[in-house]
Amino acid sequence: MKTETVAMILAGGQGSRLGKLTKQIAKPAVPFGGNYRIIDFALSNCANSGFNTIGVVTQYQPLILNNHVGDGSSWGLDRNNGKATILQPYSSMEGEKFFKGTAHAVYQNIDFIDDKNPDYVVILSGDHIYKMDYQKMLDYHKKQKATLTVGVMPVPWEDASRFGVMNTDKTDRIIEFQEKPENPKSNLASMGIYIFDWPTLKKYLVDNQAKNRQLTDFGHNVIPTYLRNNESIYAYSFEGYWKDVGTIESLWSANMEFLDPAHELNIRDRNWRVFSKNPNTTPQFLTSSAKVTNSMITDGCYIAGEINHSILSHNVKVGKNSVIKDSFIMPNVVIGENVTIEKAIIGESAHIHDGVEIIGTEDSIEVVGYDEEVGGYSDEN
Amino acid sequence: MRTKVASILNLVENDEKLKPLTNRRPLAALPFGCRYRLIDFPFSSLSSIEAVSAALFISGSGHSLYDHIRSGATWGLESSVGGGVFTHSHIELKSRLDDSETYTENYYDDHNKYVSRVHPEYVVLMGSSMLSNIRLDSLIQFHKDKESDVSVIYKKLKRNELIDDSIYYSLAMSENNNDRVEGYHPLTEIKNGDESLFLNMEMMILSKNTFLDYLFKAKQKKLDITVNNFIDLTVEANNPIYGYEYTGYLKVIEDIPSYYEANMDMLNEDNFNALFYRANPVLTKPKNSAPTYFGDTAVIKNAQFANDCEVYGTVKNSLIFRKVFVSKEAQIEDSIIMQDSYIEEGAYLKYVILDKHVYVKKGAKLEGTRENPIVVAKNSVIYSDGNIEEG
Repeated sequence: MKTETVAMILAGGQGSRLGKLTKQIAKPAVPFGGNYRIIDFALSNCANSGFNTIGVVTQYQPLILNNHVGDGSSWGLDRNNGKATILQPYSSMEGEKFFKGTAHAVYQNIDFIDDKNPDYVVILSGDHIYKMDYQKMLDYHKKQKATLTVGVMPVPWEDASRFGVMNTDKTDRIIEFQEKPENPKSNLASMGIYIFDWPTLKKYLVDNQAKNRQLTDFGHNVIPTYLRNNESIYAYSFEGYWKDVGTIESLWSANMEFLDPAHELNIRDRNWRVFSKNPNTTPQFLTSSAKVTNSMITDGCYIAGEINHSILSHNVKVGKNSVIKDSFIMPNVVIGENVTIEKAIIGESAHIHDGVEIIGTEDSIEVVGYDEEVGGYSDEN
Repeated sequence: MRTKVASILNLVENDEKLKPLTNRRPLAALPFGCRYRLIDFPFSSLSSIEAVSAALFISGSGHSLYDHIRSGATWGLESSVGGGVFTHSHIELKSRLDDSETYTENYYDDHNKYVSRVHPEYVVLMGSSMLSNIRLDSLIQFHKDKESDVSVIYKKLKRNELIDDSIYYSLAMSENNNDRVEGYHPLTEIKNGDESLFLNMEMMILSKNTFLDYLFKAKQKKLDITVNNFIDLTVEANNPIYGYEYTGYLKVIEDIPSYYEANMDMLNEDNFNALFYRANPVLTKPKNSAPTYFGDTAVIKNAQFANDCEVYGTVKNSLIFRKVFVSKEAQIEDSIIMQDSYIEEGAYLKYVILDKHVYVKKGAKLEGTRENPIVVAKNSVIYSDGNIEEG
């Protein structure tokens, strides 16, 4: 059976600006919103858009990410006619195939895509929090008879110089691409979402490789090459919530925004669900001493303390007289008694002992790493 | 190496006194503890010994049960090598029929086919009415250590921990203190509330050959495949039966009050930990869900919730299942609210069990008693004046 579209989710990046939160795991696997990991949004968008042949390209610290994605069954992607496949660098007669950039990662997986023989390849990043119907973008791509359609988002003009911006003509055809320009000519920022005609893209990737000119990166190499060759590239405008949670502060603020029941992402929308691999755990237990307001709590939590304006992921324990405010607590964290946590992100399986204070500010969010122990008796003395 | 077992779950259980909760679902599919169904407990026991198959015998169609079990993958019962959930529906037990002619031969053949195909070392018989978390590995070890051919599970209880008109039995244990079981007698024969007894949990392990032997005898005598009939056959054959003592949490789900108490027991940390954290992890069908949101006006005291709820009101000493909405100024106390129910502003519920998808209108008040909680059937609407329209 013919596969019309293959989606490639590029999930190999480290996300180094997330500091210790991406020391052991890739950015797309970083927990988000109590019940999710960042990549769930892209995977769920694929599932909801009806794309079920998906390659998830992983490279940096892939263990947790690969385990999370599995065969894609959590997203309903384990069907006869499509599934999620983890694609990792491998070695071959031509040498090792470590991915040097976004386009290079696709080049290295030509065999995977060719095996499906698709008309279109959708390139996505596993790093962003958003809901988007890629099918609509594909319809637009077909209507414009484009060889490449770039997902763009209008950003405030003063921010445009932080992005790759697309300068378009009246028909939304892209005529110029500027990477982080000092004087942007457009405020349409690239979201890192591309739809390519596969035969065309493959030709460019293979031909350039043959001439020893590697097309390493979509933004830096492929788009300029397409422009030089007068390919028809169109911009597809997305309007809605979209967040790159690339820094500690943005990860924190995205979680705080997520708490709002009126949030644009509408996580409870049954028509566009965000799926994840759900842990099998007990109900949430709020004891007589618990006080929980304006917060999200997940299954497996045991709460004897006070929680305000915070997200607690699954299996978090909070002892008596502890106060957690404006914070994001990742899964399996144990927090003792008389602990104060404010404006902080606590990494998975960290242990915060009795009486510890962890207090950040909006400009400097406190972070406790995965498996870290804070307070308690030290073994070294 | 893991021990190869065949597991037979007799889910034709007594659920008359649990109506209306069991109107359209077998006892095994009864929701429990915010996110479980009773079948999860025996299945989790099987999962922990890496059993790969199970045969279910149920009366009626069992739609809710199939929907929950699906392929059995949650409990590792979907292996393509020798695994699977083999369901036999519309089973009528002879003991419940007036006319034995309607009793089908298939009943015995189905058991035979399943057990012969699995080639197990042991056969385990279980049900779902004894809410517990059984370590089958310990049972198997006990069975081996005793060089036992037939072992049954019991729990030491006081008579008053079970309902007066219980349909269950106490094991007659040998007075020689050797764990030998000599028979069983109905609980109703025990009148003194303080009297200790050995509750027959109607769970049994026996070797494959003994099982097939008893199956043959049962077919000849037209007996149901139950633990008690198998105890009788063992006694008749003059073979020893050993009793394995279960010391974890147990509640026998026989009627509405015992079902209500079992749920309320979970709000006690000792019981909760005993059932969920001291033996096998309890696995249930994974559901995709968002975390539960507690609003600014939420007041919670000693309560449990599943994911996917939105809570703006007061919830005390209660268990709230998935996708329940509790409006501000609504008050829920000492109640069980099942999946998909919606509670409007100012409603007051105390000692109430709402089955799935019940809509409670503004200001509606409903109050039962601890001994007799009010049960509201699935899809009902409770109006502001307290009138209930059944769904």
